[in-house]
Amino acid sequence: MIIIGENIHVIANEVSTAVRERNAKTIHDLAKAQTEAGADYIDLNVGPMKQDTEGTMKWLVDTVQEVTDLPLTIDTMNPVAMEAGLKFCKKRPLLNSASGKQLSKEQMLPLAAKYKCDVVVSVMTDKGMPPDVDSKIESILDTAAYANELGIPDEDIWIDPIILPVSTAGEGQRFAVICLDFIQILQDVLPGVKSTVGLSNISNGVPAPLRPMLNRTYLMMLNRSGLYSAIADPLDVEFMKLVKGEMPEIVDLIYRTMDGEKIALSSLSEKEVEYVKTTKVLMGETLYSDAWLES
Amino acid sequence: MEYKTPVDAYTGTIREVTIGKGKKAVKIGGDNKLPLHFFDEGSYPNPIKFALQILDMEPKDWPEHLAGPFRDVMSDPVKWAKKCEGFGVDAIALYLISTDPMEKDTSAEEAASLVKRMVSELNVPLIVYGSGDEKKDSEVLTKVAEVCDGSNLLIGPVQKENYQIIGKAILDHGHTAIAQTPLDINLLKELNVKLCKFMPAERIVIDPLSSPLGYGMEYSFSLMERVKQIGVITEDSMTQMPIIANLGDECWKTKQAKESKEQGLLWEGITALSLILAGANILVLRHPETLKLVKETIRPVR
Repeated sequence: MIIIGENIHVIANEVSTAVRERNAKTIHDLAKAQTEAGADYIDLNVGPMKQDTEGTMKWLVDTVQEVTDLPLTIDTMNPVAMEAGLKFCKKRPLLNSASGKQLSKEQMLPLAAKYKCDVVVSVMTDKGMPPDVDSKIESILDTAAYANELGIPDEDIWIDPIILPVSTAGEGQRFAVICLDFIQILQDVLPGVKSTVGLSNISNGVPAPLRPMLNRTYLMMLNRSGLYSAIADPLDVEFMKLVKGEMPEIVDLIYRTMDGEKIALSSLSEKEVEYVKTTKVLMGETLYSDAWLES
Repeated sequence: MEYKTPVDAYTGTIREVTIGKGKKAVKIGGDNKLPLHFFDEGSYPNPIKFALQILDMEPKDWPEHLAGPFRDVMSDPVKWAKKCEGFGVDAIALYLISTDPMEKDTSAEEAASLVKRMVSELNVPLIVYGSGDEKKDSEVLTKVAEVCDGSNLLIGPVQKENYQIIGKAILDHGHTAIAQTPLDINLLKELNVKLCKFMPAERIVIDPLSSPLGYGMEYSFSLMERVKQIGVITEDSMTQMPIIANLGDECWKTKQAKESKEQGLLWEGITALSLILAGANILVLRHPETLKLVKETIRPVR
């Protein structure tokens, strides 16, 4: 599993301040911490970046590359910022992201072709978010074909099914299951294509202390479905232990729960019980509430 | 080939909850199949119950076609309640709206003494709703619970913000709680989980909020339907409480209901029938003629 470290993100106050004030130390610290934690890519989420786009982007990319040899992910909706970022990367970057929207096809995919880089392609279209597995497949077949024509091979395309918060009343749990199913059949539909998810979105809206449990469990479930990579928080120690295969008994427990095995909770440790309960919520078997670990 | 009617059977059962005490007690819930699925296996041990709503102060904005039947008794909530008994209700729902700090800010003691008087006068169980002001309800409803110790009132709204204090009073003084959340199944379950940490699930009734026809009824319908399905089909213990549809209040706020009597009765009636279909176990209505209309409509299947 490839982990793309999400922590350099302009929504975080300290990051946006550091970028604005050209404070290299904050950026260095975040890049180093994620590298040491075992991330495979560093994501630079710079938002729309309307002012001094090229100068800022160059500074940020250079600053990060001063302290890490990891490849970078350039994460912006602004094609000018995107190109500026891609241009200064020493290692083959990942463009994050293009989508099935017409504008994105016209502006982002040609950049991926020009810089011969990997590219995240989300299932989003001009009609919005495809709600089920079939419409997601339809969307990516269309966008992948478009990318192929530009000279981007399937192997360079990282499909993003778009994860939505599990806590969204009524729909969230259904969407969590849909994404699992989608990743499961992706290799049959487009052999060789890669995949990625914005993992933390699964726990968006959930009380902060409870979020890692959902992120960890869902990644292991997606991993079983064949997910290639995830944009996530590598600074969560337990999360990285799971990713590196250092907690096989927990993964086994998650799998058995997914398979519907009746597991006697009384024989499990507190942590194991939490993983079982979380898996059931993410499978849509028990109704989600913020108190899901307590009932 | 011979046609065989498909018959479903479910494993989950909605809890049976008793409100009121002794001879006055009524039971709600206990169903182990989906609402009005008479063709499936299972039973509805307790027919749907109806309450009429009364207020603890004379309403100012009720149109004449609504206030008419009660005009002579509205100044005295106890007389008003007695008159409602005559319309064949299963319970009376008293709304302590005057306790609202934005209204008369009636004291907890005064409100509780009215409730106590009403309990002793009535021959049916009493449902007591506070004003909905989280802070004031914490005072008023705990006082009501204390003063009416042991009479098993159905008391609400118990909300996320005040469930600990009101829930505890309800538990300590032998009453039943109305757990209210704003049209959200995840929040609904969460509140039930939290309440069940210190009180038995058999002492909880769910109020998911009942939006009227034309003003979001579909949301209430879908929510109640889902709560029932999850309780009966997937056996989620935290949604297996009976549901109260508190709709009279909301229906009579609509412009349409206020415009004419016929429209008002139908507005309330259609909302009531829809929410019965969705799974309500007890309904709070406002107009006695709606009560008659709805009861007649569902009589063949009740």
